[in-house]
Amino acid sequence: MAGSGTAHLQDDGDVVLRVEDLNVEFPIGQGRVVQAVSGISFDIRRGETVGLVGESGCGKSTTGRAVLQLPRPTSGTVTFDGVDLGTLSDEALRQTRVRMQMILQDPVSSLNPRRTIRQIVGEGLTIWGRQDGRDARIDEVLVSVGLDPAFVRDRRPHQFSGGQCQRICIARALALEPELLVCDEPVSSLDVSVQAQLLNLLRDMKAAYGLTVMFIAHDLAVVKNISDRVIVMYLGKICEVASADTLFETAAHPYTRALVDAIPNPDPRRSVPAVGLRGELPSPLSPPSGCRFRTRCPLATEVCAVEEPQLRAVGDGHFVACHHAGSVME
Amino acid sequence: MHRAQIDSAASPSPLLEVDDIRTDFTTDRGQLRAVDGVTLRVSAGETLGIVGESGSGKSVLMRTIMGLLPRHGVTVAGRAVFDGQDLLGPRRATRTLWGTEIAMVFQDPMTALNPTKRVGEHITESLRYHLRLGRRDAQREAISLLDQVGIPDASHRFDQYPHELSGGMRQRVTIAVAIACRPRLLIADEPTTALDVTVQQQILELLAQLQRERGMAMILVTHDLGVVAGRTDRVAVMYAGRIIETADTASTFENVRHPYTEGLLASIPRIEDPSQKTLDALSGRPPDLVALPAGCRFEPRCRYATEQCREVDPPLVTDEDGHAFACWHPRRPPFHIRATTGHS
Repeated sequence: MAGSGTAHLQDDGDVVLRVEDLNVEFPIGQGRVVQAVSGISFDIRRGETVGLVGESGCGKSTTGRAVLQLPRPTSGTVTFDGVDLGTLSDEALRQTRVRMQMILQDPVSSLNPRRTIRQIVGEGLTIWGRQDGRDARIDEVLVSVGLDPAFVRDRRPHQFSGGQCQRICIARALALEPELLVCDEPVSSLDVSVQAQLLNLLRDMKAAYGLTVMFIAHDLAVVKNISDRVIVMYLGKICEVASADTLFETAAHPYTRALVDAIPNPDPRRSVPAVGLRGELPSPLSPPSGCRFRTRCPLATEVCAVEEPQLRAVGDGHFVACHHAGSVME
Repeated sequence: MHRAQIDSAASPSPLLEVDDIRTDFTTDRGQLRAVDGVTLRVSAGETLGIVGESGSGKSVLMRTIMGLLPRHGVTVAGRAVFDGQDLLGPRRATRTLWGTEIAMVFQDPMTALNPTKRVGEHITESLRYHLRLGRRDAQREAISLLDQVGIPDASHRFDQYPHELSGGMRQRVTIAVAIACRPRLLIADEPTTALDVTVQQQILELLAQLQRERGMAMILVTHDLGVVAGRTDRVAVMYAGRIIETADTASTFENVRHPYTEGLLASIPRIEDPSQKTLDALSGRPPDLVALPAGCRFEPRCRYATEQCREVDPPLVTDEDGHAFACWHPRRPPFHIRATTGHS
């Protein structure tokens, strides 16, 4: 895989977020560099939920953080609502970040244990001087995430379960009425029943607040459930971009196919698929030449080692970076 | 040895018999019964899946059976017998069975391995202690085991430290440690929860393969019904410290009787469902084990609950197909109760 290229970017006007040729590198001393994200591009329309999916180490979280300029990417542009975030001063960036909020994987460690829920949810309002109606606003968002303000307000995080803490994190993110919500594995540490409640909640919140969502997760079934479009990443590159339904019906990339096959299915009549993907993720210190997936790809040929595949259209809104995509789809 | 006698007798009794286990913790808020009257059987070579959410008592149950709980503040009652040997009484045989007859694989492969020890030492240690192998033989056997669990370049990996391996590789090492002395029962407690989905598939396949080759029995503990679906013979679903439904795997999924199991299945997003489908999520959360409801423990979250459920705790009953469940309003009625077992 390994795709670079911008064929999948959309032209129409209502693009809220556009990321072009994003590179994030982390120097680790002795001149060595971890190439966490290598030249990826994508965009998100207003009101859209885009899922970013891949295994640990594929760069999906780094991409999410780079969108918020945490830290600023090594190169490439992130354009939010027409403004190139890379050109902004720290103060201008701070002003812009109010409109972008993040929800993280571990809800318990992302809440300050010494503060009350009222302080946690209201902190952003205080910082931005929105004192008028602050308490009413706190109650409003707590109600909207399914918590009882009278019960919750004056308690502290340790008095709540993981699922409730994640609801509090969502309330905190919503208090400032953001436009873009970046969710980094928001449900992966939760039990299935709580996970289902939160996926439904996120969908409701998105409709109620008119949010645009970037949803990062490793679980394809979860990503499919919540996303309109899905981007599959592998070792810092994009493999495939498609609408959620298309991707799972007609996966064109051998990596996507392997990910779909690896999902445990709660239906015992289905035979357990043979192990599709062998081996491990190569080191991002020295990624393979050409297509980065070729070392684990059942279809790899000589061209894959030499030439990096570019994202190309294989259907309506369906893009794939693979030299052999045709044979996967058959 | 005792084991040889049992083998030659081709004993019909199960390998592991667990009867009415109750595990109590003393907490600041009072006594907390994490496991409440669990009875189960595992036959030689069989795979039992134990499914439950956080706090359902599944891990405490395994640790109780293995004798891995702290002594202070914990009270254990009930009976656990492995191949005729008591695991819980004052003269328990746990120490002689650990590692040799029963072995365990844990969720987090990083904390299960000693960071200051080379990978190989984790395996040679038990080979030398339990099987009395010499240093060279132990090393040869350890490399062979690393090879069997699918670690490439095993003789090189033998000398590495755990931090030099990926999560999936580390879990393979803990599996190699567990199977080193050819145990007859392997307890895998959420062995793939910390791993990527592709690695999870590899590890589950490895466990199934080792089990086939070695005729091991296995208890696979997980929160994910998808993990047990294709890989177990029987399933027991736990809720609030009890088994609330148990049957052979196909029956558990196809003839779900308990509303909790039904709710768990409905909560899982399915890859074949269309995107943006609203999930039929179970509402609420598990009860506080210190202040349990008087009747059925699932009643506060149950969409079928009636007055009877609020007042009387349903017993675990078995229907004509051997499918057991604890519910006054089971799905797919009517049915005929054959036996009443378990808690009253």
